[in-house]
Amino acid sequence: MIERLPLLLGIALRHISRRRRQTVVAVSGVAVGVGFFLAVSAMMIGSQNDFIKTLIDAAPHIIISDELRSPPKQPGFRVFRNGVVVLRNYKVRNEVRGLKDWPAIMRAANDEPGAIASPSLSGAVTLHLSGREEALSIIGIDPEIETRVSTIEDKLRVGRLHDLETVQSGVIIGEEMAQRLGVGMGDIVSATSGAGTTRSLRIVGLFKRGQSQLGATSGYVLLREAQSLLGRPFIINRIGVKLADPYRAQEVSRRLEGRFGYKAESWEERSADFLSLLVTRNVIMYSVVSAILLVASFGIYTVVSNSVADKRRDIAIMRSMGFSEGDLQLIFVAEGIVLALVGVLFGWALGYGLMEILGSLKFPIAGEDKYLPLDRGARQYAIAASASLFAGVIAAWLPARKSSRVDPVDILRGAV
Amino acid sequence: MTAVLEAQGLGRTLSGEPPIRLVNDVSFAVERGTFTTIIGPSGCGKSSLLYLLGLIDRPTIGKLLLEGNDVAGLDGDARAQLRLEHFGFVFQFHFLLPEFSALENVVLPIRRLGRLDGAAIEQRGIDLLKSVGLDEKASKTPDRMSGGERQRVAIARALANDPMLVLGDEPTGNLDSQNSARVVKLLKALAHEQGRAVICVTHDLEIAAEADVRISMLDGRIIDVART
Repeated sequence: MIERLPLLLGIALRHISRRRRQTVVAVSGVAVGVGFFLAVSAMMIGSQNDFIKTLIDAAPHIIISDELRSPPKQPGFRVFRNGVVVLRNYKVRNEVRGLKDWPAIMRAANDEPGAIASPSLSGAVTLHLSGREEALSIIGIDPEIETRVSTIEDKLRVGRLHDLETVQSGVIIGEEMAQRLGVGMGDIVSATSGAGTTRSLRIVGLFKRGQSQLGATSGYVLLREAQSLLGRPFIINRIGVKLADPYRAQEVSRRLEGRFGYKAESWEERSADFLSLLVTRNVIMYSVVSAILLVASFGIYTVVSNSVADKRRDIAIMRSMGFSEGDLQLIFVAEGIVLALVGVLFGWALGYGLMEILGSLKFPIAGEDKYLPLDRGARQYAIAASASLFAGVIAAWLPARKSSRVDPVDILRGAV
Repeated sequence: MTAVLEAQGLGRTLSGEPPIRLVNDVSFAVERGTFTTIIGPSGCGKSSLLYLLGLIDRPTIGKLLLEGNDVAGLDGDARAQLRLEHFGFVFQFHFLLPEFSALENVVLPIRRLGRLDGAAIEQRGIDLLKSVGLDEKASKTPDRMSGGERQRVAIARALANDPMLVLGDEPTGNLDSQNSARVVKLLKALAHEQGRAVICVTHDLEIAAEADVRISMLDGRIIDVART
């Protein structure tokens, strides 16, 4: 069979070369389908990757908080699990907030390969300045460790996280908050916690606008400053863990939660709603693009179908010469494959060109020039080629089957 | 002489109401080196018999022995392979592939058989065209050749794989008398000089008169076999 392929392919190429107009239309259909598939998928997957990277980088990969997934059981329930008396509506014991034995949790988290754990304490305070009040959620951190765990440093318009250590009672807030309070770098604001403690805090850094993941009402202070302000010395209520491989977050968080009982949320769990949206988005994208490729394959179907119809006489004479039914089917399937292949090559070029154009477009967002995140990976080129070739083979095979049903006797006798 | 092809009670019936008998209980043998013609009125089953003998159509009854082996019941691929190796066909219409040159048309069966390499294939094609006096037209496509030339190219193609049987269905039906005589001369030479068995269906009694064996048909049956 393989030794016959050059002959059969040669016949297919002759057929195609004689039907220039139809060939151009069919190839153009595939090329446009492939080109737009590449451009659209580059945008969709690029934005998806960018979005996931933002999700991963915005916060630690795992956050262990002082919450429990379900309240602890009453001692009576734990001892008499299958007792005859059923306890209902009992009062749940209030746990003291804060992570107990947090140094052990930190050690366990740091024992994970390539992991860095960062302790923090968060709580609510009110900022006062000249009669104005603003609620602020403060997060007490260790700047040395936090810079290695999160990308907060990159989100600062002015200042550095390390300034929290060098400036006494320093605080970093968002640009919006600073604007509302009418303060700037170096200004002092008064902060009062729920515990009744009041401190004067100096602005040592400002977040850029529009950093939604940081929150417009969040602020960073030194960990011991937060513990003092919130009246919770030596206590932390959150451990952020950064992993060498963010896609292990689910597995590691499950292990840590199983061991210590505290809620350990991976970035995937925190972003489950967004991730499920991405799945839906991908399904829609691939459905639409598959439809484009399917429509493109109609062109191939038309060309091959017409070719089979026009070549009935040639089919009959080739059958009489000794070409088998399989040979004739292969000739017409080869026509479809050649059309799809040429279409794919032009489509790749078109897709590359479209990506270059899209990649050069500038969008001013929040005062900065942003470019469309594009995924130019070879995977999409391979998917486009495989899908087009598959569609091309099917589109050619359907009419090609008719070639084997041509009755040579009728044609040779009647010269139909 | 040994029969190269032998029909034994060969029949072909088209199903339907009522069934149509195209060929009915035909028995005869064809020997190498003979030029046989099948004659009869239109619709008597001449061409139907030829397609049965050439393994293009399948008999509904009877045996067809090719060098003593029954080939009537073979599957499509096996019959195609036998046609490729042992049969050459010439039709009323030349049936050359329009996209290919004369040489390419001639070598198509050789390339399909795949027993020769590139240079040998081309040389064989040129030799075949030379044998029909058309080696100078090797690169011409069918649309740039006369009717007689096309038919001679078709004869050259029929001989591509050196077949032992050459079957013609009204091979001179579309030619003028001069070209017709030339084609008949070629066909006779294939039988008498090259030892092939040549079977031609024809209406032309002048051509039939040139044959070694004349088979007359009526209503799907052989009514007479005359030898000269």
